[in-house]
Amino acid sequence: MRSVPRVAGGGADSRDGGSLPGMPAPAPAGPPPERRRPLDVAALIPIVRRIVAARVPDRATADDLVQETLARVLAAVERIEPGMVEPYAIVTARNVVATMWRDQDRQRRHQHRVVDLRPPQLPDEDVLAEEDRAAMAEALTRLSERERSTLLAHEVSGQDTHSLAAELGSTAGAVAAQLNRTRARLRVEYLLAADRVEPPTPRCRPVLLALSSGDRRRQREVDAARHLLECEVCARLSEPLMGRGRSRDDEVRVAVHADADVVAARQAARDLATRLGFSPTDLTGIATAVSEVVRNIVRFADAGEVLVELLDSPRRGIRIIARDSGPGIPDVQEALRDGYSTYRGLGLGLPGARRLMDEFAVASEPGRGTTVTMTKWREDA
Amino acid sequence: MTVGPRLFSILRQGTCLIASIHTALDDSQLLRFQEDLIATIGRDRARGVVIDVAALDVLDSFATSTLRDIGEMARLRGAATVIVGIQPDVAIAMVRLGLRTGVLETALDLEEGLALLGDRMAGSPAARR
Amino acid sequence: MSTEDDQDTGEVAAGAAPDDEILLPQLVAHLREHRNRLRQEWVGRIDQAHLLQAMTSQEVAAETTSVYDNYVEVLETGSVGALQHYARDLSERIIPRGVETDEVVGIVLLLRDVLARSLFEKYQRDLPLLNRVLDAYEPAANRIANTVAGSFVDERERVIRQQQDSIRELSTPVLRVRERLLILPIIGVLDRERARQLTEQLLTGIRAHRARVVVIDITGVPDVDEAVANHLVQTVDASRLMGASVIITGLSPEIAQTLVMIGVDLSRMDTIGDLQGGLEEAERLLGYTVTRDSEAAGP
Ligand SMILES: [Zn+2]
Repeated sequence: MRSVPRVAGGGADSRDGGSLPGMPAPAPAGPPPERRRPLDVAALIPIVRRIVAARVPDRATADDLVQETLARVLAAVERIEPGMVEPYAIVTARNVVATMWRDQDRQRRHQHRVVDLRPPQLPDEDVLAEEDRAAMAEALTRLSERERSTLLAHEVSGQDTHSLAAELGSTAGAVAAQLNRTRARLRVEYLLAADRVEPPTPRCRPVLLALSSGDRRRQREVDAARHLLECEVCARLSEPLMGRGRSRDDEVRVAVHADADVVAARQAARDLATRLGFSPTDLTGIATAVSEVVRNIVRFADAGEVLVELLDSPRRGIRIIARDSGPGIPDVQEALRDGYSTYRGLGLGLPGARRLMDEFAVASEPGRGTTVTMTKWREDA
Repeated sequence: MTVGPRLFSILRQGTCLIASIHTALDDSQLLRFQEDLIATIGRDRARGVVIDVAALDVLDSFATSTLRDIGEMARLRGAATVIVGIQPDVAIAMVRLGLRTGVLETALDLEEGLALLGDRMAGSPAARR
Repeated sequence: MSTEDDQDTGEVAAGAAPDDEILLPQLVAHLREHRNRLRQEWVGRIDQAHLLQAMTSQEVAAETTSVYDNYVEVLETGSVGALQHYARDLSERIIPRGVETDEVVGIVLLLRDVLARSLFEKYQRDLPLLNRVLDAYEPAANRIANTVAGSFVDERERVIRQQQDSIRELSTPVLRVRERLLILPIIGVLDRERARQLTEQLLTGIRAHRARVVVIDITGVPDVDEAVANHLVQTVDASRLMGASVIITGLSPEIAQTLVMIGVDLSRMDTIGDLQGGLEEAERLLGYTVTRDSEAAGP
C-alpha cells in the first residue's frame, strides 16, 4: 500500500491490519498548503467518495484513494481554472482508481519472476529494527564468503550491480538476483540465530528460504504451506517472513479451527470474488463450495488453512486451496461420489462443491492430510 | 439468548411461530437455533412454523439438513414447517449443490408462508377461522 | 486485461541514443510548464475540427485535462498502463453518446500535433537538437495514439457484445399472464449459458411478480436432449425453492419417454402436453389457492 498524505475531513484511518512488517509506516498527516485561494475540499468529498466507492468495494482502500484524490486536487488547485475543480476532482478520482488497478496488475504479473523487481530493499530494514547485532553477525558468518563479500560491497560500500558484475565476470541482472537470494538467506539465518534454534527437519531451511524470498513458485515446490502446518518451529519463525511481499491484496488466508471459521472463510472468498465482478449467482456458488470444503476441515482435521487467491492467467478467476493436516481421506474417488457421507449432512460436501466450481482436485495422503484445490473462472473474461 | 446482536428471533403469532434468522450462522449456532425452536414449538404447542432465511447468503448442505431436521421434528410435535425467503442465487446454488427440494416446504416470503400454513391448518380440525 | 506494460516500460526511452536520455525529462518538464496554454490550444483545435461535439465544453475541458496529464505521464514513465485504463474508462463514458473511433483517434493526433509544434518552437534555433527531440518524441507519441485508439476499439466491441447479450435476454421474456402466473416461452437452442441466464431471469421474475405458478413452454426448443432436460430439472427445483410450482409444456410423450430411458428424473417435473393444457392446470392450481386465500383472509 502506498503512503498517502492525509487530508482533513477524510474520516478516521481505518486501514486494514495496521502496518505490516517491512512496510513503511503511513506518512504522518501533513496539513494541506494553506496559502492557496480557499478551496472547499469538504464539498468535494461526497462526490469523490461516491466515484471511488462505486469502483472499489473495500472500505479501507476506498478511504485511501479518496484521500489521495483530494491531495492531488489540492496540489493542482493553482493550475485549475475556477469552476473546473469539481470536474477535475471527478477525473482525478477515476485516474487514481485506475492507477491502483494498474499497480495491482503489474504486481501480479511480476509475481512469477525469479528476479525481484520490487524496489530494492535494504537487506534487513524490517528485521534490523528489532534485532540484536549479535544475531546479525552470526547470520552473516553463515553466508558463504562470496555471498557475504558481494552483499557487503553492495549494501555497505554502495558498489552498484554493474561494477560488481564486471568484477565477478557476470551480468548485472545475475548479480541482482544473487543479491536477492543472499538477502533472503540472511533474513532466515538471522531469525534462526536470534531464536537460537536449529531447524528440526531438513525441509525447514528450504521452506523458510522460499518464504523469505517471496518466491511463490518455489513455495509451492517445497509445499511450504503444508510444512508450516506441521512444523511448529517454522510456523513461529515464518511470521515476520510472511509479511514479505504481503502488500498483496489479491489473496486471503483464513486459519481454520472451529465452526465460525467456515463462515469467515466463505465470506472472505465472496469478498475477494466480488472484486472480479462475478455474477451474484457465481458469488453464492463460490461461497457455498467454500463452505462445504472448509467444513470438512473442521469435521475431520483439528486444524487447517484456506488460501483464497485471485488469478489472472490464463483467465481471470478465483482459486481456493483448503488444506488440513488431518487423517486424510482413505478413498478420494469414493468421497467424490454423491451420497458419500461420514457425518451428519446430506453427503453432498465434496461432489456438490465440485459441481459448483469449474475445476476441482483433491489430494489426500492417509495420516498426512488433505488438500482441496478448486477454481472458478470468470465466464466472459 | 446471548450477549451481542441477536442471531435469530422466534416470535409467536396466533398458533404459529415465526422464526427469523438475522445473520449468517455457523454450524453450532444453527444447532442452537434448532434446539431453541424445537423447545419453543413444544412449549407453545405451535401448529405451524415459518422459518425466514432471507438473511442467509448461503444455504449449504449442513444448513439445509438442519432445516430438514427441524421440519421433521416439528412434524412429530404436530407442527407444519415452511421455509421462506430463499434468494434466487441461493436457490440456484442449492440446486447445483445437489439438494433435493422435495423435503422442504417453501414459500416466497413471510406473507406467502403464513398463507400456506393457514391452508395446511385449515385442513385439520384444530384450525380456527 | 492483457496490458503488458511491464514489457513496455522503458521502451520509449530505449529508442534514443544514451546521451539522449536527458531529452525526455526535459521535454516532459516543458510540457508540464506550459500545460494550461497547450491544453487550451488543443481544445481550440478540437473545436475547429468539429470533434467531440456530443460533449459539453465543460466535459471536454475535464477530459482533455486528464488526457493531457496521462499523456505526459506516459512520456515520462514509458508505461501506458494508466493511460490504457483511462482510455477504457473514457470510452465507456463517451461511447453511449455516439462518439466515434475516428474522433478519438483525431483528438489524440491533434494533441500530438500541438505538442510537436510547441517543441518545434522551443528548439527551432538548434535544428540537430530539434531532430533528436522529435526522434525521442515521435515514437512515444505514436504509441500513445495507438493505445488510446486500441482501448477505444476494444471498449466499443465490448459494448456491442453487451448489447447483443441484452437483446438475447429480451428474446426470452418472462410474461405475466395474470396475477401470480408467469409464462416463460423458450424459443431456440438452450445451451448452458442461456439456461443459466434463463434460470436467473425466471427466479428474479418470480420474486418481482410474487408468482405462485410458472408455465415453461418448450415447444420452440428444437432439441430436447439430456443436457436440456437437466437444465430444466434444475430450473424447476430452484423455482420451487422460491415457493413457485412449475409446469412444463411442449414436451412430447416420445421425447419424455426417451429422457426417462436415459435416466433423467422427470418425476419431479409436472409435464403437460400443450400450452393450453398447461395454463388450465395452472389456473386450477391458482384457483385452488385463490379459494384458499379468500377463506384465509380473515380480519
Ligand atoms: Zn520446519
